[in-house]
Amino acid sequence: MKPMDPVPYAVPFFMALIVIEMYWARARRPEAYEPRDTLSSLAMGLGSTVAGALTGGAMVTLAFWLYQYRIATLGWAWWTWAACFVIDDFGYYWAHRGGHRIRWMWASHVNHHSSQHYNLSTALRQTWTGVVALNFMFRLPIVLLGFHPLMLFACGGVNLIYQFWIHTEAVKRLPAPFEWLFNTPSHHRVHHATNPRYLDRNYAGVFMLWDRMFGSFEPEVDEEQIHYGIVKQLGTFDLLWTSFHEWIGIARDVWAAPWGSKFGYVWRAPGWSHDGSRDTSDMIRARWQERQG
Amino acid sequence: MTGLLIQLSTSLAAILAAFWLARHLQLGGDLRIRGEAEARALADNAICGFEAIDLAIDRAGIGALLRDAEGRVLLLRRHGAHFASRLLDSHAGIRLDRNFLTLATNDRHFGEVTLDLGPQAQVWAASLRHLSGHGDQA
Repeated sequence: MKPMDPVPYAVPFFMALIVIEMYWARARRPEAYEPRDTLSSLAMGLGSTVAGALTGGAMVTLAFWLYQYRIATLGWAWWTWAACFVIDDFGYYWAHRGGHRIRWMWASHVNHHSSQHYNLSTALRQTWTGVVALNFMFRLPIVLLGFHPLMLFACGGVNLIYQFWIHTEAVKRLPAPFEWLFNTPSHHRVHHATNPRYLDRNYAGVFMLWDRMFGSFEPEVDEEQIHYGIVKQLGTFDLLWTSFHEWIGIARDVWAAPWGSKFGYVWRAPGWSHDGSRDTSDMIRARWQERQG
Repeated sequence: MTGLLIQLSTSLAAILAAFWLARHLQLGGDLRIRGEAEARALADNAICGFEAIDLAIDRAGIGALLRDAEGRVLLLRRHGAHFASRLLDSHAGIRLDRNFLTLATNDRHFGEVTLDLGPQAQVWAASLRHLSGHGDQA
């Protein structure tokens, strides 16, 4: 059985909105886009589609295998859809948090953050190695509760579509109740920022509730200019390097590390080193806070 | 399979069209370092707490070299519509040609950059000879 994936139907709208945002950039902020960066981001998106096509079958098979061991059968009622969407978003939050706090998972997710720009094309800058990073471990087990695998995949697709439009600087703030409940351009700008104040914050997919509940919420401060990208900016538009640099970094670090520390370069936070010679986001934030007095 | 190939071909065409449009609209601008304050701010953004005590900016503003009190030397260079940086830890790959200083890091994807530092080029070239490490860049 093939899952209903809503994402391909949304792609024409994605491209149309990117064109509109480009004209906005020309009028307001020409530096909001950079042609090679856009090419790189969109090519990453295309590569991600290919990777998804190659691995999707295995994910569907795994989901249906797990579904055999469900504790209930919840069916297709409207409330089941709503519950599935919320629970899947909860799973997304933890997968995303893991994607920033565990280097093995970061090696995949870093691709999405490696642009120094923040525009709608950045939203399509997706990883090619999500399956290798085991992101699915946080979401597929939801079928054990009794949600049908096809429902889960459809909800995941809608979640991904929702997150497209929040990758923009063209929208400043939305009405307060919306900002409180949902992920918005403002909240997600914080997530993509390298400012010490903002590092590893706002992991939410759709509902901001999870960040508020689990202590990872940080509001955008209007007075502080945001710098986007990653702590060590790539400095290249090379597509293959962009896709695989962190995996190569892990391999090099594991090779060079003393035996007792090798595994730390895989499961500890990005930036961790056995000799303390590098910075994690927590160390950078602590240094920044110290400077603030 | 045919459907997937059509989808991929269409997507590729759309990507190239978006790239063309971004160029056509001249997006990205022409970014330059406009002074010492901006260079210092860029360095602090690159490495939180990096306070330059000495710096030299390329005459066209496409890059800069900064040194802090700990002796760390940071190379800033333009990358698209932004700047990227690396700490220099080796004098290997540094070449002086009159006012032009060419710097390469051990990150080959970062590439090398040639800065027009005017008379300061020779002073910086001499001081960079003290760099001797061969480890990873920050």
